[in-house]
Amino acid sequence: MYNWGQYVPGNSIIHRLDPRIKILSVIVLSVFILKVGVNAGLLLSVFMMAVIFMSRLTFQRVITSLRPFIIFFILLFLLHVLFTAGTPIVRFSFCGLSITHEGLYRGLYITWQFMFLVTGASILTMTTVPSDLISGIEGILKPLRPLGVPTHDIAIMLSLALRFVPTFLGEIDRIKKAQMARGANFKKGKMIKKIKNITSLALPIVLSSFRRAEETATAMEGRGYKRGPRTCLRNLRMSSADYIALVLMVAMMTGIQLMAL
Amino acid sequence: MIKVENVTFRYDHSGEPALNRINMTIDKGEYIGIVGPNGCGKTTLVQHFNALLYPEDGRVSVDGMNTDDESCVEEIRRRVGMVFQNPDNQIVGMTVEEDIAFGPGNLELPSPEIRQRVDESLARVGLKNHAERQPYTLSGGEKRLVSIAGVLAMKPEYIIFDEPTSYLDPSGRDRILSLIEEINKQGIAIIHITHNMDEIVNAGRVVVMDEGRVVLTGSPKEVFGKVEQMKALKLDIPVVTDLAWRLKQRGEDIRTDILTIDEACLEILDRLKSPHAS
Repeated sequence: MYNWGQYVPGNSIIHRLDPRIKILSVIVLSVFILKVGVNAGLLLSVFMMAVIFMSRLTFQRVITSLRPFIIFFILLFLLHVLFTAGTPIVRFSFCGLSITHEGLYRGLYITWQFMFLVTGASILTMTTVPSDLISGIEGILKPLRPLGVPTHDIAIMLSLALRFVPTFLGEIDRIKKAQMARGANFKKGKMIKKIKNITSLALPIVLSSFRRAEETATAMEGRGYKRGPRTCLRNLRMSSADYIALVLMVAMMTGIQLMAL
Repeated sequence: MIKVENVTFRYDHSGEPALNRINMTIDKGEYIGIVGPNGCGKTTLVQHFNALLYPEDGRVSVDGMNTDDESCVEEIRRRVGMVFQNPDNQIVGMTVEEDIAFGPGNLELPSPEIRQRVDESLARVGLKNHAERQPYTLSGGEKRLVSIAGVLAMKPEYIIFDEPTSYLDPSGRDRILSLIEEINKQGIAIIHITHNMDEIVNAGRVVVMDEGRVVLTGSPKEVFGKVEQMKALKLDIPVVTDLAWRLKQRGEDIRTDILTIDEACLEILDRLKSPHAS
C-alpha cells in the first residue's frame, strides 16, 4: 500500500549526494524534458539511465515504481493517438476516429516524457532518506526566510505528516476491524452500502486524529518546541561530489539550451 | 525544588476545580509516587510542573522560576521532562535518533552536541543499535524507551512519568521500572504517576490524590499502612500489604506495613517460628 518510491537503503554515489542537489536536479530535468525536442529527450533519457545505474537500483525496482501510473500512461497515450489530426494509418469507421502517424508519434513521445518525470521523482525518493528530503526542501527554501517564509515550521510540518502516515494506516485498520467485529462488511454488498460503510470509518478516524494532534502538540511543547529557529542533528554540507554533480547538471543543461537540440 | 503553593485549577471556568488548593514540594533527587483514581487530577497537577498548564490561583515554581514568567518557560521545560502516557503521540521524529534530537534541537544546540546527546541517551536506555529505525517499527516497550531517551537528551533535573507502564508486557514493564530507578540514582528527581502500587513501593514518598486534593502523603509504608483509608478511596494497595491486613483482620498478630514479597516472607516465617504461633 505504502510502497511507491519508498526509500531503498544503499550507499551509492546517488544515495550520498546532497538532497538539495538531487531535488533541484529533478526539478530542472523535469522542466527540460517537457520543453526539449526528441534529440535532447534521448540524451536526457540516457543520462537518467546512467543515474539509475550509478544508484545501484535494479531496473526492476524502477519499473515497479511506474506501475501505479500505468492507467494514466495508457489513457494519455490513447488520447493522443486517437485525437491527433494528420495522416491516418487505421480508420475506425464505426466511430469516425482514426489512428494517425502524428498521433502515434505524439502519443509515444508524451507518454515517454511523463514516464521520465515519474522515474526521476521516484529515483529521488528511493535514494534519499525522508528526513534528508525534508532538510533538502528546507535548505532550498532557506533563501525565502527573510521574506517571512517559516521554513523551520514547514520542515516540522512535513516531517510530522510523514511520521504519522504509518500510524494512521494502522489506526484505519484497527477501526475497520472493530467495525467488522460488530458486523460491518467492507467487501460485499451493493456499492451504496459499501460507501456508507466507508463513511462510517471516516468519522472515528477524524476524531481520533484530532485527539492525537492535541496530545502531540502538548508533548512537543513539553519538549521545548516553539516557533522559529531550531537546530538539527545533521547539517547538510556540500562535498566535492555534490559540486561535480552541480557543474555537470549546469553544463548539460546549458549545452542542450545552446545547441537547441 | 518544585514548589506548588495553593494551586487551584479549573478546565471549565464554572465547573468543579480539577485541582483544589494543592500544596507540595518536590526536592532535587527525590522519588515521588502519585496515585489516585482516574480523574483525580494527577495528570493535571504534573502538567503544572513544566508550564503546560498554569494555575488559576496560587503559584508553581521550579528552582525559583515561576511558571507564569514567560521568559523562564523554556528553561523550566528543559529542567522538567515529561514522559507522556501514550508514547505513540510523543514521538515526532521520522527515525529514533531524529526524535531524540528534537528536544536538543529546540534548545538550539549545535549539531555536534546534539549528536553527542543523542548517542548518550540511546546508550542509557539501551537502544544503541536502533538509532535509524522508524518509530512505527518499534514495539510498545521500545517506543517508551525512545520517549524516555528524548527526555534524557534535555539533561533534565526532574522527570515526570505519567503511567509509564501502561500497555506494556511484564518484561517491558520491568525494563522501564529498573530504568526509572537507575535514572533516579543518577540524581534526577522522579515523579511517577501510576495505578499499580507495587511500582512505587521503593519511592521516597507517596502522594494520594482524590477529587483534586492531596488526601494522604508520606512514605510508602505510612501510606499503604492506612489500608482502610486506601480502600475507602477505592485504591489498590500492594498485594502483600493486603494479605497482611487480611491476616490481621482474622486476628493474627502481624505487621501491616509490609510492601514487598521479601518482607512478607520474613514476617510470615517469623510468625511460623515464634513460640506463640498457633
